[in-house]
Amino acid sequence: MKVAIDQGRCQGHGRCYELAPEVFTDDDSGYGTVIAPDVPPAYADQAQDAVNVCPERAISTAE
Amino acid sequence: MAAQTTVEAGPPDAEREARLEQFMRERANDPRAYYAQLRARCPVDFDEHRDGPAALSRADVESVLRDTDLWSNETTPIMGSAEPVIPLGVDPPQHSIYRRVLDPLFSPKRMKALEPAVTDHVNQMIDAFIDTGQCDFSADVAVPLPCLTFLTLLGLPEEELDDMVRWKDIMIRPEIVAGSREAGQQLQMQTVGEIYQRFSQELAARREQPRDDLITFLLTTDVDDGRKLSESEILRILFLLLAAGLDTVTISLECIFNYLIEHPEARQLLVDEPESMDGLIEELLRWESPVMGAAARRATRDTELSGCPIPAGTLVLPALAAANLDPDVPGSQQVDLRRKDKSHLAFGGGPHRCLGSHLARMELRVVIREWHRRIPEYRLKPGVAVEWTPSSLRGIDHLPLVWDVPAGDAR
Repeated sequence: MKVAIDQGRCQGHGRCYELAPEVFTDDDSGYGTVIAPDVPPAYADQAQDAVNVCPERAISTAE
Repeated sequence: MAAQTTVEAGPPDAEREARLEQFMRERANDPRAYYAQLRARCPVDFDEHRDGPAALSRADVESVLRDTDLWSNETTPIMGSAEPVIPLGVDPPQHSIYRRVLDPLFSPKRMKALEPAVTDHVNQMIDAFIDTGQCDFSADVAVPLPCLTFLTLLGLPEEELDDMVRWKDIMIRPEIVAGSREAGQQLQMQTVGEIYQRFSQELAARREQPRDDLITFLLTTDVDDGRKLSESEILRILFLLLAAGLDTVTISLECIFNYLIEHPEARQLLVDEPESMDGLIEELLRWESPVMGAAARRATRDTELSGCPIPAGTLVLPALAAANLDPDVPGSQQVDLRRKDKSHLAFGGGPHRCLGSHLARMELRVVIREWHRRIPEYRLKPGVAVEWTPSSLRGIDHLPLVWDVPAGDAR
């Protein structure tokens, strides 16, 4: 699974890296970044859940 | 962050005042019922007795918050400050320049560093009343905690707590402090001057003697174009931190604790499974929506919302509470403390997303965690009826709680 954050939409709510710390992390301003675009199968659920926590709908996943 | 839409000065109309208070009371008492009733009439609220239309659906609120070309934050004064407050009262691209300076100061990492001081404050408060078996949660915890955090953040002495409490009350609900809308506006203007003056003294002191704190940072940091922030810019930043960062946390605490009193099963969940806390906080921020609306936005051209025409220049209120309770969002009509979808808009959204959201969440967590660790069983004082404050911020001025104290320990 691949995961991406649309940086044009991200507003630093910080939901993704809090819910899915294995998939996302925060930069110094509190905005989310993807740790590795290819998500290991073990964290696929985390990545999928993160799509639902982003108030800006900035996260997308693809097989 | 919340701000009321500005009301034009004019002869006070007793009937209008009464209607306004009535609607504010209904809204604070039960936003679920209130917004359902508005929605049933029209997807955009056009009640003639309010100050302007409100966007109610999740989709409309999102578009008002995100499309900053169409919806400007450069409106009439916010909370009595004649100059635009920073960053809330400024549109992109200037807004982005300010946020790049301010976002790192309120990042989760920074808030983590502030957490031990906040934990100490909470425990000192609890120490003061735990053996008596009772407290007024609002006056003894919810009000002073964010004020003390603010003083810590700014490097101001704790002795200034009483001033802080008075100032933020006047900023947020001048009409209640002063007794009428007109007197409130006057008091608010006067107080804004007082606050700017106080912060100006503090800037002078930091120029003289720099410290490792937020005010010194604002004085010395380079902005995008290589210049420093002006005195006026810093004052307008500090003013907004004060106006937006105190009561919002206070009322969120009051809303959450009131819910926990009314729902012992939710309180028990917190005690039995402390790891459920983060999800519980998110769901109650959605369900209670303590900050019911974001600052009003001005339409920069003729447009529409859900098919309703909005002429250029109209101030529109993004009703965050209504968006959070939008019936078109599956499951939104019930509380689900284990909800996976945590994409509520309690902190707004778009470029003006609440700057202090990570600070607020940290404060809420520390209070809820420390309180339940030390006072896991508590209830509303018998005979007391909870009364919501009729304001755009849903708070409870008095929340008397009681709990059992082991015999022999009472004093």
